[in-house]
Amino acid sequence: MIGIVVVTHGRVAEELVNAARNIVGEIPAVAAVSIGWSDDPAAARTAIEEGLASLEAAGGDGRALVLTDMFGGTPTNLSLPFLSPQVEIVTGVNLPMLIRACARREGELAEMAGAVREQGKGAIYVASEILEPRPA
Amino acid sequence: MIRRELRIRNRLGLHARAAARFVHTAGRFRARVTAGREGKVMDGKSILGILLLAASQGSAVEVTVDGPDEEQAMAALVALVEGGFGEEP
Repeated sequence: MIGIVVVTHGRVAEELVNAARNIVGEIPAVAAVSIGWSDDPAAARTAIEEGLASLEAAGGDGRALVLTDMFGGTPTNLSLPFLSPQVEIVTGVNLPMLIRACARREGELAEMAGAVREQGKGAIYVASEILEPRPA
Repeated sequence: MIRRELRIRNRLGLHARAAARFVHTAGRFRARVTAGREGKVMDGKSILGILLLAASQGSAVEVTVDGPDEEQAMAALVALVEGGFGEEP
């Protein structure tokens, strides 16, 4: 099973994983790395490393999808050095992406990453464009 | 194939956890399941698809099941939806 690590500013990662758990139930091989505003970068990098390392004991197969909040931000920048054939990174994490990732844990890592990206982009709506407006 | 129109009874409508329960129930069966509303038809085994129906309390969702265990699948889905997903009404 491909592991999942969510890495974000503040406590967004933890709460995103909590929200996903409340919706889909227990999620195996997942780690949340919340990088505090005043955390030392070296400590934050270690936290990401530990998050990745924790996956195998939780049912991961050595591969991981890292979901970060924003391209160019520190959580992403600190995650990028872990990029490898076994570790892919997708930025701009949102709840639909995490739910999609949880539903698709086998197969090719690159395919999972692509599917999660498409889900994230496709799950953004302007409500009035898809719903009938309420009568005035 | 069996087709039935089900009424959403719980106050929060077909929200995320209700959609997850629907998908979890549908996933116990081999039958293909769809859920549709107002021209949209979604895979009944996809949480994010079900959420797109935007079915609030009182709206009708057309459920189809197609496969060897379709009768049991429909019975389970009817019980779930008509039971308000086990939530307070």
